[in-house]
Amino acid sequence: MAGVAQRTRFQALCQALRPDLVRFAFWLSRDRDLAEDVVQETMLRAWKARDSLQDEASAKPWFLTIIRREYARSFERKRLLTVDVDELIASEEPTLAAADDENLRELRAAIFKLSAEYREPLVLQVLMGYSTAEIAAELGLSNAAVLTRLFRARQQLRVSCGEDTRLDPEES
Amino acid sequence: MNCVQYRRSLLEDPQHRDTGKRRHVQGCPECARYTEQIRAFESRLQHALRVSVDPRSGNRGGRPTARVWPVRWLAMAASVAAAAVIVGSLWLAASERSLAAAVVGHMPEEPQAWSNTDRPVAALKLEAVLRDAHLRLKADAGLVTYASSCSFRGHQVPHLVVQTRVGPVTVMMLTHETALTAMHFDESGYQGMIIPMPHHGSMAVLERGAAIDMHTVESVALQVENALDWTA
Repeated sequence: MAGVAQRTRFQALCQALRPDLVRFAFWLSRDRDLAEDVVQETMLRAWKARDSLQDEASAKPWFLTIIRREYARSFERKRLLTVDVDELIASEEPTLAAADDENLRELRAAIFKLSAEYREPLVLQVLMGYSTAEIAAELGLSNAAVLTRLFRARQQLRVSCGEDTRLDPEES
Repeated sequence: MNCVQYRRSLLEDPQHRDTGKRRHVQGCPECARYTEQIRAFESRLQHALRVSVDPRSGNRGGRPTARVWPVRWLAMAASVAAAAVIVGSLWLAASERSLAAAVVGHMPEEPQAWSNTDRPVAALKLEAVLRDAHLRLKADAGLVTYASSCSFRGHQVPHLVVQTRVGPVTVMMLTHETALTAMHFDESGYQGMIIPMPHHGSMAVLERGAAIDMHTVESVALQVENALDWTA
């Protein structure tokens, strides 16, 4: 039986990290309800495996790895083979909407439309503050592959949002 | 490094800087303009990814979840979630709100900091304030018009003001205050955010007045964060 102090500490940690974990799961799944489910299940798995977390400073990447596994499991269970992005955007309108800022909504919709191979490293870098090497380790890619994906992700977003891309470099 | 290599690297990782990049952009006005464009876009991207999340619970309206959990797991989930809501929200709310409240509470102590001015603070003064916190600020942090070493919760911390087109924005480097995650606050006429600075505590960025613009706060936060150079 875990001690009260350990449980309290763990719960506080979960609570503190939860907003970013839900955001990560949301951008991964593009489904708010699924994101909430995945995070909840992640926390349960994390609790069961809490002894493997040596250092609270590394809790966030530890949780993110579990979230990615959980999401993969849910994906397999649901067998979501095809996705209509416009339907997804419509169904997640409350989350994508930004009061008084149509540009922000447009950018969120553009992120939705990015393929997962570009969206995921971008979210890890921009939202989670991962370095290229950390993204590469998490996704099992080379550093060069991560950088290419990040480059393409931003390039596509800029085009989708009607940014001035005249100075953007071409893909080599 | 040529222009194409520089711009490509900017699209790969706008936060990453090294000597080669700095040297290139200093000698290339077009790439300097491009850097500004990309930084502005990056700031919007950060904002866009930070969708609103209720930090206190897993409650959600709308569609039912597609998954049916085994009863044992459901019971565990309910137990963990409920306890997390109660204990965690008390802990989190207390620590983060109290930090935000302390930052806001410090503001009336230095009303002169909020002046609208285009006169930069003396470089030596800025350097001295930052040195105490083992910090340097690169030139692209923006127009810093105020710098003071302030006593905050038992430590001396840099208190800076950066001028923007909508007015002054205050930045406090809370090197002794750990924040696990970024949070926004709205207290007593001040709005801002506290951002974790891994291994260096946190940073509070805030604005006041009727025309508060959180985009500006976030842009200044990003701008200052990019310009920080830790010396220890």
